[in-house]
This record gives sequence, C-alpha cells and structure tokens, in this order.
Amino acid sequence: MKKIVMKFGGTSVATGENIRHVASLVTQNAKNDCRIAVVVSALAGVTNTLIEIAEQAKKSDEKHIQAFTKELLDKHLATISTAMTSKQVQKEVTQITEKTIAELEKVLTGICYVGELTPKSKDYVLSFGERLSAPIVWGAIKDLKFETQCFTGKEAGIVTDSNFGEADPLMNFTTHLIHERLGPLLEKGVIPVVTGYIAANQDGIVTTVGRGGSDYTATILGVALGVDEVWIWTDVDGIMTTDPKIVPKAKMLPQLSYQEAAEMAIFGAKVMHPRALEPVIKENIPVRIRNVFHPENQGTLITKEPDAKATEVVKAVAMIKDVAMLNVSGAGMVGAPGSYAKVFDVLGKNNINVMMISTAVSEANISMIIRRGLLGRAISNLEIALLDRGGLVSEVSAEDDVAVIAVMGANMKGTLGVASRIFTTVARKGINIRMIAQGSSELNISFVVKEKDGTAVVRAIHEEFNLDKI
Amino acid sequence: MIGYGVVGQGLTSILMRRRAETVKDYGFNPKIVAVVDKGGAAINSRGLSLEKLEALKKKGSVAEDAAFGHPKMSALDVIESVEAEVVVEATSTNVKSAEPALSYITKAFKTGKHVVTTNKGPLALAMPALTELADYNHVYLRFSGTVGGGTPMLEFAKKCLAGDKILAIRGILNGTTNYILTEMAEKHVTFQQALASAQKLGYAETDPSMDVDGIDTACKVVIMANWIMNKKLTLKNVDIKGIRDVSLQALDEAAKRGNTIKLIGSIDGDKPTVKPTEIAKNNPLCVSGVLNAVTFVSEFAGEETIVGRGAGGMETASAVLRDLLDIRHKLANRLLNSNSE
Repeated sequence: MKKIVMKFGGTSVATGENIRHVASLVTQNAKNDCRIAVVVSALAGVTNTLIEIAEQAKKSDEKHIQAFTKELLDKHLATISTAMTSKQVQKEVTQITEKTIAELEKVLTGICYVGELTPKSKDYVLSFGERLSAPIVWGAIKDLKFETQCFTGKEAGIVTDSNFGEADPLMNFTTHLIHERLGPLLEKGVIPVVTGYIAANQDGIVTTVGRGGSDYTATILGVALGVDEVWIWTDVDGIMTTDPKIVPKAKMLPQLSYQEAAEMAIFGAKVMHPRALEPVIKENIPVRIRNVFHPENQGTLITKEPDAKATEVVKAVAMIKDVAMLNVSGAGMVGAPGSYAKVFDVLGKNNINVMMISTAVSEANISMIIRRGLLGRAISNLEIALLDRGGLVSEVSAEDDVAVIAVMGANMKGTLGVASRIFTTVARKGINIRMIAQGSSELNISFVVKEKDGTAVVRAIHEEFNLDKI
Repeated sequence: MIGYGVVGQGLTSILMRRRAETVKDYGFNPKIVAVVDKGGAAINSRGLSLEKLEALKKKGSVAEDAAFGHPKMSALDVIESVEAEVVVEATSTNVKSAEPALSYITKAFKTGKHVVTTNKGPLALAMPALTELADYNHVYLRFSGTVGGGTPMLEFAKKCLAGDKILAIRGILNGTTNYILTEMAEKHVTFQQALASAQKLGYAETDPSMDVDGIDTACKVVIMANWIMNKKLTLKNVDIKGIRDVSLQALDEAAKRGNTIKLIGSIDGDKPTVKPTEIAKNNPLCVSGVLNAVTFVSEFAGEETIVGRGAGGMETASAVLRDLLDIRHKLANRLLNSNSE
C-alpha cells in the first residue's frame, strides 16, 4: 500500500468546482489502495488580501474591517455551496467558516485598536487563509462518503522556532508529534486534511513557514509520515525546459534530481522553493509535480538519482529579467584582504540580496546582479559608505537593461566543452556577454546579456542543445 | 525533583552523606527547591531540608510538610512556576505513551530548565525529538542513569572514546533477565522457577514483562544508538524477542559447545535488535547474575567491555549526581565565558 502526501495550491482550490475536482482526485487514489494525507493552500488570492488588510487594519476603522470580513465570508460561503452537495455537510462547514471569520474579525479589530502589526500578529492573520480553505476541502471529501479529518498545521503537530514569517520546523519533534497524531489515522484509511503554510511554536503561538509555503508543509508531513511520494498538484504540467512563452516548443521534463530542481527555483513561482525540498532530500522521498487539470500526465518526478538513461548535458535554460548589474571598481581593492567583505556588508545591511557575483583575479573590480528595483538604493549606499574611503572604491556603476541567462543540468558536471558550446552559440548571434559565473558544483552556468537580446539567446541555446526533443 | 521513589531518595541520601566533598571537590552545593511525589509537592526557594524530606517520605508524602507542603500542586505547575536550574525527573517508566514524564521534560525545556532523567520511556519513544528540543531551548538533557544504572556506560562510549567511531554495540543490559538465564543454566531450573526466585529476591516485578520480554533492553539500545551512534531511532525500530522461549535444552546444548545463552541487545550498522543469543562463556561480555556488561566495537581502539551493576536506587542516584555535576561544570563555563565577552 502506497502512502502519499498530496498538496493542492491556490488555483487548485480557487472555486467550489475545483475543490470538488480535488476531492475526486483524492478519493479516486484512496480507492486505488493509497493512504493519502492532504495539504491545502488558501483559496487563490486570499493570502494576498489578508496581507493587505493586516497592513491596513492598523490605521483603518471597524467598518472597513467588517466590510472585508463580510466579503471574505461571502466568497467562502459561495465556494462551500458548490464544493459539496450534502446539506448536512454544508451546514457543518458553514458553521466552522462563520466561527473562523468571527475570530478573524476580532483579531483585525484588535490590530486596529492597538494600531500596531507585529510579525507575530501578522502570522496569526495570515493563518486564516488556510484555516478557511481546509475545512471546505475536508467537507468535499466527506461529501463523497470518505472518512476524513481536518487539522491546522499546529493541531497536526508541526512545531517551529519563533521566527515569525519565516519559521523553521523542529523536524525531529514535529516528526514525533505528527507520527503520534496523524500516523494512526492514516493507517486506518482516514484522510487527514492539513492546512498548508501554518504551524505553531513550542508555546502554541501560530507561525508561518514563509518561503516554500504549503509545499514546505507537504514535504515536512511527507517526512514525518514516511510516505512513498509527495505530490505537488499545481496548474502546470511540470517543470519545463524553458518558458513556453519564449520557446513555444519547450518540453516538460519527466525527471530531475533534487539538485537540479533546487537550481531551477529561479524559474519562478511554479517551481518548488529549495527550502521546501530540504526535508525530502535528507530522507530521499521523491516529489512529483502534477497538473491538477490534467491528472492523466505523470508530471515531473524529482528524485535523488536523476534518470540513469538521461544523457542530456543541458536540461533547461531560463531568463531572469528585472535585474540590474552593479560594478564596483577601485585599484585600492587589489590585494586588500576584506575589501569584498566591506562591499557585501553594505549591501547586506541595507537588505539587498546579491543574486550573482563575478570578479577576476586582478581584483580591481567586482560585478554583481541584484533586483532592478533595489539598484538606486544599492548605488547610493555603496557610494556613501565606500567611495574614496581610503581609496578603496573609486567608481560604482550600473547597467539596468540586462538579463541573466541560466543554463542548467546535472550532467554538465565534468562534461568538457559545455561552456564553449554555450558561448559559441551566443557569439554566432552576434551578442555580447557582459558577465559570467559558474559555481564549482558545475550544475549551472549563468551569464548576463542585454535584456533586448535575452529572448534570442534563450531560443538559440534551447535549439543548440535540442531541448525540444528531450 | 519530580518523583521521590528509590532513586530520588537515593539522591537525597547521597547528597547528605557527601555534602562536604561535593562542595570541596566539585564546587557543587545544590539546593533542592521542590520535590513532587504522588501526594503533592514541597517547595522552598531557599532549599528544602534533605533530612526532613526523608522523614516526611517515610510517613507518606513530602506534601505533608507543615510550612512548605502543597498537597494539591501538580508536577507541571511546579515545573512551570518554581525557579530552578535543573529538573531531576525520576518518575516510573511508561513505554506506551511515555507520559506523564514526556510532558514534564518538555515543560522543563520550555521554561529554560535543564533535565536529568532516569526514565527510559520518553527517551525510548521520542529521543530524537527531545534532544532537538533541548538544543533549541539551549538546555541540557542528561540520562546516565537510564543505561547501566551507576555504571558509566554512556559516558564511557561518549567521552572516553571521543574521536573514535563506534561501529557496533552489544550488551547484556538487563539484570533481571541475566539473573534468570544464569539461574537456569547453573541450577538447571525452568524459566518459571527462575522467574519466581527473581521475584522473591526483588529482582523482578510482579509483572515481569518489561524485563523478560526484552522491552527494557530495547529501550537501552535505543538510547545508546541515539546518543553514542547519532542514529535517529525509537522503540518501534527495534526487533525485539524476549527470553520466555529459552529452553533448558537449548541452554544444555549451548553448554556442550562451551557457550551459553544471554539476552543481547545490539546495534550493528542500522539494525537494532534484542534477542536471546548464544555467546562463548569466555567472551568478556558473558557476565553472570544481575550484572550488566556492554561491548563497544570502535574503529580504531578495537573492542572494549565495561561491566557493572545495571540497576538499583543508590546506583542510579549516583548516575544522577554525575549528570548534575556535568551540567554544573558546563553552566560554570557558560557563565564565565559570557562574562568575559
């Protein structure tokens, strides 16, 4: 008997009809001798409105809050009415929903009175998205006459540190509790439905896991329950060789290694955050990305061992837009220990993430890629802090019309001539490369070109490595 | 101190007897600020009189203390509200749910208290979880008394063999079953007769299941595997077989080969097992009576065997004292280092 954790994202549970579809997917698999635990995200868009109202609550009035909760209640009630048919179950779920929304209203009113939103209270507000969606999925499964039970992440036993907004699980303690609480249910064939994203610290205060979100919850649950696979149901077929908007012939990748999948996080929100992969990597549990609207497709399987037959050197190519290149130069940096540290220290203290770095052994300049929106702040802070300070930095310059091209594949490691093929391809197009970086893991070569050339470069590389025939 | 049975009373008696030395030799001057037994609690933030505690316990419960007794107070309330550095948890073992000891220990961690326990239940069922929670709360969890009683088996492997890699552990870890098997082999009596004799001498409980079905041994294997070999195991990972089916005939046949049968708990690689095993009589592990013995197979130092009594109130209490001294030493380092920063 297979044990599987299935996670359903926001679009999968966007409407009542979708939720019914989700319930039928779960129960069909349960009928096929699978033990299933379900993890659900908030209804599409709800988490964002909760973030907004939480920010607004501190300076708005009760009327505004009531209008918001009324709208949220209506949205969920409408979903309930189409997600399940039994009046009895509808009534049960409606009661839970009304009670939960009443609690939310109190919390928001509290924030409104105090006029302050702490990370702790923000996590509490954000938890309502999943606390409202999970009972509906639970109801829809119950509606199909399957035994099921609904849990918040806290009730399921996910215990985290107190780093609100970005909490990390105490994995061993969590495993112990989940095993005690959900393990016996799963053995009996009951389907536990667990809220994604939210957990609690050891004192029972609600936390959220931040980056990785509900996917992270799913992998935590998968490890704790010792499942055979974790299935991430989403609205795409799997992980693609590149953005199909750039290359219409882009292919779905049937299999990837954990490392490759982690490298592809930069492909955007449709791919799992590396943080969410961490628990399953340690326990070697495969993850499958599947399309909830095309369950007949097998999706992308992420495992420890990449497909042994796969000989492709390059598996995917991506373009990262909305970035800028920052150059810091100065003869004073040459041979001066700690000079780079000073540059990164300034950026770090101003909360600017550096995505890519390149520097030559001559040490006279260092190039970095950062988010474009942060460029102004980065330049002024670097200039204020370092320009002419003991002659360390003589110039800070930037280019904001660039894009990063990332070429990935586990088999690139140790294969000779990959870089040469990539750069020859780019050169043949008459395109200049501004900056290059390859980590010693050799899974990824990243380089920078002018943004206007990005699409052409992605297409050329996709073609050069025959990614449409993968 | 939560639980004031033979181990707890052993500890107060050692502390009374050795007070001068512990202060002089170890700079250790402990105060027991609260004791909880089945009748309630006795609390005095300036330290309870150990002599008086003993006297009260002889009459019934420490909660009967006129000045400091709190007959209705629960252990959880005491752990939560009383200010102390360390909780000594010495309640009886429960291998089904590990409660209430598991809650006591987690409550102590959450309120920033170190824990010394002699209770195998919480460790056998949730050791990876407890060590993680202790680390997270920056407190120490010590449990020398759970394996080998007063014989420092855990410390031997963890401290004396530091740097070496322990590849396997094999041991006779339960005195009751060893007594029974020794009686059967030497006096040629049946399992039932040997068990009855063990019960008469107080070596075995009225319900001997924990011992003769191998559960106690399995708990100790789990603790050693986690602590010494860094495995993440719990009781359910152990393959357990007790000694009820060991026949006189099997013992006789083993004897003909110069061997005997012992209940051996072992972990070799990833497979923890407890089962009656034939071993040579001249194997250093082959101890008789209620003695315990454990052999550590280490990568460089080879095989070492440590032998000693595996249970008893005073013996286990001495292990608690060792743990308390260890924590005291670590706390002193912490304080001194943070002052110099």
